[in-house]
Amino acid sequence: MTKYLIKRILHGLISVVIVVAIVMTIIYSIMDRNLIFAQDSTYSHQKNNAKEIYKYTKWEEYGYLDYVTYADYLLDLTNSGVITEETRSSVVGIGRTEDKDSEAVQEYINKFKEFYESQGYEVIRLDAVMLNAKKVADGGQPRLFAFKQRPLVTRLWSYFSGLITIDNIHNVEGIEGDPGITFTWFDSVYGGDKFSPAILGNGTTHRYLLYFDSKFPYLHQNIITINLGTSYSVNEGSDVFETMNRAQGSYVKSTITYPSGLTEESADDLHTATFVKDSLETSLVYESRFVDDYTNVETVKANLSKIGFSFVIGIIASLLAYFVGVPLGIMMSRKKDKLIDKLGTLYIIFIIAVPALAYIFLFKALGGKAGLPTTFNLESANKLMYILPIVSLALPQIANLMKWLRRYMIDQMNSDYVKFARSGGLSEGEIFSKHILKNAAIPIIHGIPGTILFAMTGAIITERVYVVPGAGNLLTEAIGKYDNGVIVGVTLFYAILSITAIILGDVLISIADPRISFSNKDR
Amino acid sequence: MTKELEKYGLPEDELFARVDNSVFDSEKIMAPRYSYWHSVFRVFFRKRSNIVILSLLGVLLAFTYIYPLVVEYDKYANLMDTAAKHLSPLESIRQFGFNIHWLLGSGAAGQSTFDAIWFGSRISISLALICGVINLTIGVLVGAVWGFSKKVDIIMMEVYNIFANVPYILLVAVLVMILTSSFGTMVFALTITGWLGIAYFIRMQVVIIRDREYNLASKCLGTSIVKIALRNILPFMTSIIVTIAATEIPSYISMEVFLAYIGMGLSDMSLGRLIYEAESAMVTPGWGFEFWSPVVISSIITIVLYVVGQNLGDASDPRTHM
Repeated sequence: MTKYLIKRILHGLISVVIVVAIVMTIIYSIMDRNLIFAQDSTYSHQKNNAKEIYKYTKWEEYGYLDYVTYADYLLDLTNSGVITEETRSSVVGIGRTEDKDSEAVQEYINKFKEFYESQGYEVIRLDAVMLNAKKVADGGQPRLFAFKQRPLVTRLWSYFSGLITIDNIHNVEGIEGDPGITFTWFDSVYGGDKFSPAILGNGTTHRYLLYFDSKFPYLHQNIITINLGTSYSVNEGSDVFETMNRAQGSYVKSTITYPSGLTEESADDLHTATFVKDSLETSLVYESRFVDDYTNVETVKANLSKIGFSFVIGIIASLLAYFVGVPLGIMMSRKKDKLIDKLGTLYIIFIIAVPALAYIFLFKALGGKAGLPTTFNLESANKLMYILPIVSLALPQIANLMKWLRRYMIDQMNSDYVKFARSGGLSEGEIFSKHILKNAAIPIIHGIPGTILFAMTGAIITERVYVVPGAGNLLTEAIGKYDNGVIVGVTLFYAILSITAIILGDVLISIADPRISFSNKDR
Repeated sequence: MTKELEKYGLPEDELFARVDNSVFDSEKIMAPRYSYWHSVFRVFFRKRSNIVILSLLGVLLAFTYIYPLVVEYDKYANLMDTAAKHLSPLESIRQFGFNIHWLLGSGAAGQSTFDAIWFGSRISISLALICGVINLTIGVLVGAVWGFSKKVDIIMMEVYNIFANVPYILLVAVLVMILTSSFGTMVFALTITGWLGIAYFIRMQVVIIRDREYNLASKCLGTSIVKIALRNILPFMTSIIVTIAATEIPSYISMEVFLAYIGMGLSDMSLGRLIYEAESAMVTPGWGFEFWSPVVISSIITIVLYVVGQNLGDASDPRTHM
């Protein structure tokens, strides 16, 4: 069994890599890469050569290509001691056009070209854009740079190798004191006298590596960070995983003690402090609160994260669906061709045939008539607003469960073992609950892990119609805003969920039904 | 005698009757004439409700394909007429006089909602039918090969496992983005991986039937695989294929509505786009008609297509032909 599972997991991971590779090929190679600037206001304000340069820096940042400017090249040479600082500053300025370069500059430009062209880079020189004979236009300075498209394999490798980062005491430079890890029984955030163990790091990216707080699951860690890819336009600069998991809504203030000893009502979450080099001196606010450069903190917010909302709504809807759908499905099969079966079939046809959009709007209109809130409001404490999204999600699930359970049970009803049980004198109730249901439920059980896991991804239409701040719209939003990082990240997330769901489903049915075995020995 | 028959509720022809000895008749060895498609339609029309639903489908198709040919429709014809916008049926009939165009009121540009719906459903239904034909053809052919060949099975299972994980919306959206949001693109986007699910389903059915005794017997007697596929297995599959078609074709209409709603749909005026554009009217009191009419009509179209397909699927199962 273990061997089989490992094989399955490896198989699944390979297909996840292939899925990500396919998606990357689609969005990085086939899609027009100028589209990513559609929502970028910085881009639209740039002019002339500066605009081109901005494009290339962004493309490099988002993994399209490797890009080196002439100035960077010279800086590298200086740093490695090949040329002196004087030489660098004398040759760094290039002429407005190629024939206006001085001889020394020409020499280094040729070196630059040779060096990068030999590595497969393409060298581009942008001549100055002139406003008149003497004045250079805004952003029109001459530019010289080299770039190379990143091949898919490199991109895949850097994506997957950066997927999980483990914090390390040599991660950052320029810390105060020696790098190391300290342990405290009394977390200073709570004033220093409350019992709350924590592990702190110096030299790590995060200040707190392991700590307790009042939020579920109470014990938190910052040692392992998951990076699914950086968002460009959906949530600029943040990681996809963070975008999905970060709390939303209004700030929650509590009394906290800053490292400097200042106690204040604040929404800052000191446990999330990360290192930003030389940040302490940049503002008086930091200087009065912090003692070192671990100043970058997140804030505590009142509501759930995107995944949180989707999961709460999804899981309640699924529970509701199982509690309603399973008994109804059993009833339909027991009273086959009777009124309840016909009504149930009508309902199933309605859900299958009518576009999802149409019936969700119908429920919204009906719910609105009944006085339920039809839109989600983060600031409202009214729990009633959960009802309509939950019901809208549960109704199709109920139909689906009813349809399949009825089908499986009716198929089982004609089998020999049922006829035998009946001839043995068992009552219909016993036959149904002890024989038929047990066999018919196996495919239903197989779907349970999937139902739970996919509650996290959220539902696109439901969340849009009821304005739920969930994760369901992340993919469509990312596609609409051409945010490649988010598209790849979300795809990876979906793919991992889907293979996990299938494997867990298989494990679950082999537990539920001893006849099912995945190891060769038992066969 | 007849009284006693009535008492037991038996008809008169239940009784024995004398048959004369005929040399000619006794020499004739013949099964009742059986024609597959004849029986399919006999079973299909035995249910009276099917006739009603089929005629409803006929009316819908007539409105979808013939009505736009007869009527001239210009969305922006009443654009300058401020009094013509967002009217309920009664108001618009009062405004323009009684005419079939104004049965469902008018929309944001003063256009007739009724006309817009049928022009839209022509695009939506055509899309669904074309995608259905393409996906079913490829799906059934690939599924049959997939089910028969063990080598193909290994490869196709991997392909299926991978493509089942690529989010469908992503694929469609990226294709719409790369190409244009035209009708052709939409067909391409919906069919590029759409056939995989059908092929997988057909593969399972083929695997189930493939190793039954009568097929083994056929194989032992030297029947070629192609002949087994066409003569032994295809008749079994007909009802399954029709049932798949019954669920698939309405699902493309739903899919189109969904894609239009999330802003990734067709640039043409399809049903989905109508709903998408009229969404804001849903919450405005008195404008509800321009939103609900396309929603209701598209639901009717999908339900009718589904029910006709399902019942046709039932009728095409030879086991119901007794």
